[in-house]
Amino acid sequence: MIEYLIFAVFAGLLLHGIHRKAIARIQGRPGPPVWQEILHVLKFSFKETWIPWTASRTLFVAVVFIAIGIWSAALVVLLTGESLLLLFGIYMLHKIVEHGLGLSSGSPYGKFGAIRSVMSAASEIPLFATIAAVYLVTHSLMISDILAWQTANGPLLIAVPPAAAALYIVVLAKMHYSPFAVIESKEIVSGNMTEHFGVWRAGLDVAFGLKTFVLLYAFILLFIGPIPLLAAAVAMLILLLSLSFICATTPMLSPFDTVTIQIGAAGLIVVYILIMGAIL
Amino acid sequence: MFDLPIEGAQLMALEFGDIVDYFSVYTGTLFVFALLFTVLAIVSLPEKPMDIVFGGDAYYTKDIPLDLLRFQRFMAIACGLATLGAMASGDIFNFTLFSSMIGITNIGIVAAVRNRHVLEAAFQYGIVAMVATVPLFGGAAIVLASTGTLSIWALAGAAAVPLLAKIFLVLGVMGEGMAPFYIGKAEITRAPGAPYVLMIHVSSLLLFLRVVEIVLTV
Repeated sequence: MIEYLIFAVFAGLLLHGIHRKAIARIQGRPGPPVWQEILHVLKFSFKETWIPWTASRTLFVAVVFIAIGIWSAALVVLLTGESLLLLFGIYMLHKIVEHGLGLSSGSPYGKFGAIRSVMSAASEIPLFATIAAVYLVTHSLMISDILAWQTANGPLLIAVPPAAAALYIVVLAKMHYSPFAVIESKEIVSGNMTEHFGVWRAGLDVAFGLKTFVLLYAFILLFIGPIPLLAAAVAMLILLLSLSFICATTPMLSPFDTVTIQIGAAGLIVVYILIMGAIL
Repeated sequence: MFDLPIEGAQLMALEFGDIVDYFSVYTGTLFVFALLFTVLAIVSLPEKPMDIVFGGDAYYTKDIPLDLLRFQRFMAIACGLATLGAMASGDIFNFTLFSSMIGITNIGIVAAVRNRHVLEAAFQYGIVAMVATVPLFGGAAIVLASTGTLSIWALAGAAAVPLLAKIFLVLGVMGEGMAPFYIGKAEITRAPGAPYVLMIHVSSLLLFLRVVEIVLTV
């Protein structure tokens, strides 16, 4: 499993690099090379690191390891075909990591990021709607069962497109430079990550690389089905470029608008699920 | 029970008559996470929040008084224990009891903070949490009245629990701290004491994850 984890980390970081490059090209800038995020992690890993005097020291360090731990677990869940509910749980636990990152440093910017993280908890609701819709159609939350269902009946993207749209919003909400990324908005420096630098930032970048890989791969597995690795990589790249296009052309929303749009989308999906439940 | 394709394999079960406390891969993971943050609340010292005076270069740090620190830590540990109970419980009534205990301890964690915004938010959240106990316990009561048992183990896969009871349970848990009522909590988290304040968030998220499992299972 360790080889999959290492692959996923580097693939995730490369996807981050492609994301930055695509945004830059759309905005008419040259942008950094696509391997820049990998270089960042290597550079941060060997930079001088300490813990700020104002921080809650244990929590400050622990959240970095928890971030890596939960997204490693998420990858294992995906690869072993475990419960989708567990993946949902891990996604929600990431919210606690975001919150802990901001609160632990003592920095006002971190705290602003943490408070925005609490407010943007609405981003989990579309994911819950997705799970409900998938369960209604496949009668199972085990990823292995969902894959088997798609092998027999075709992609869920065609069977339940609004559920795919809901998960798309969820993935978008977690992308860097996303219109929903209010917790790391530049008016609060780097938000909840402001005080995490050096090795801590490298650890966070590794965790977030894993997160991007897991979320994109989960989308492909859940809505397109089991496809060969190369085809999955191409599908992930296309999905990523579509997200990059939105990130490049849409300004950062206010926290209020972020919550409104996400709850609005979830509400539409809930109506769809109710109608689908009545029909089924 | 774990023939249900919802939460992964069964890890262990402990029988107390018809009430069976159990761990699946899912609830076991949630339990470990609650335990982890409870331990963090025990061993971590709080941060020193830094305030910037806007319009100038001045800034100052605040130290949390020892008596406040002790009270916050006590309430955070109580909150952690209630969360552990809610994750391990195989009984719907026990789950609702632990849920309301989480609501109370969440207010307790910030109750001693001398900040008007935090106290006002805690007061408003307290009202919502109190009102939410009506659907929460109402849901459990409907389950008992309609099925004759509160055991999740016994009810699993039977589809005997009315939809109304499930909706009440979810509404009750939402009132204890989930969307859209969590907005009150955004102000609460201005309070100092990161390892303790974080327990507020941990407990309500884990509670929501558990209730999702319960309503899908019964």
